Amino acid sequence: MLKGKTAFITGTNRGIGKAIVEEFAKNGANIIAHARKETPEFVAFLKETAEKYGVDIRPAYFDMANYENIKLEFQALIKTQKIIHILVNNAGIFKESLVQMTLMDDVQKMFNINFLAPFYLMQLVSKLMVRQKEGSIINISSISALEGMEGQSVYGATKAALITVTKSLAKELGSFGIRANCIAPGVTETSLIRNMKPEVLCAEKSKVCLKRLGMPEDVAKVALFLASDESEYVTGQVIRVDGGRN
Amino acid sequence: MTNEEKYINAFVQAFEIDTDKAKTLEFQAIPAWDSVGHMGLIAQLEEAFDIMMEPDDIVDLSSFEKGKEILKKYNVEF
Repeated sequence: MLKGKTAFITGTNRGIGKAIVEEFAKNGANIIAHARKETPEFVAFLKETAEKYGVDIRPAYFDMANYENIKLEFQALIKTQKIIHILVNNAGIFKESLVQMTLMDDVQKMFNINFLAPFYLMQLVSKLMVRQKEGSIINISSISALEGMEGQSVYGATKAALITVTKSLAKELGSFGIRANCIAPGVTETSLIRNMKPEVLCAEKSKVCLKRLGMPEDVAKVALFLASDESEYVTGQVIRVDGGRN
Repeated sequence: MTNEEKYINAFVQAFEIDTDKAKTLEFQAIPAWDSVGHMGLIAQLEEAFDIMMEPDDIVDLSSFEKGKEILKKYNVEF
């Protein structure tokens, strides 16, 4: 489904990002896989995946909290990679706290990494896509942005901001053949939920129609659909991947 | 192709106009140079000169002449 396409995916060393790398590679995409830093496990994962599916996967290391770092890495990247068909803004951080107990430093950190850095990447990558007159931008949001969840005011707000930008971008860039969509996963089994209390997780599971938490692969399959031409008439949308919620 | 020619060509390609028209153009003087068309022009310029323009400069590029002034910041000589 993605043969001949190049995808730039952030936050790929674990969880949803890692699953998207695997799913896209399986479907023939060449990939620029972002992580904050190089680790032997990450390098091995990229090498094995590239060999298994016969695609090109190259790493891009930068800190999402450092815009100058993002810019320099991107400038270096586009010297050799002039075309990017798909951008998946997946990297994010998660911390729970009640509004009255939330530190302003945590608010800034979450907005920097979950919203401002993806926004900056959308600016950079969409300019390449305008030249190409095609592209698909996929932002990983959250059901927390749609429903509001206890202890997730800031996380939900950062992800809601992503939805708003996605809808605007779809309108601004549609005439260039560029689509922008969001995926709003429900509670998904990744390291991000490690900090959630067991009783909260149990309660979340009971709300799901399909009676299980989401898996990263569930999100990756929808990302594949949005990245591919199978969704060529879909833009400005938020697709929930939450197993159905009561 | 000289930088002058590349620069004119970016306007011609972005707005589908002739060279003479390009040289006197200002933002919103023709329907094609609206805010969406502006994005197309920036894409043409960035590709032609292999540069990445800052948002401030993208906003400031309000005419053919102003654009030449701005591009000098990116070491594009005319």
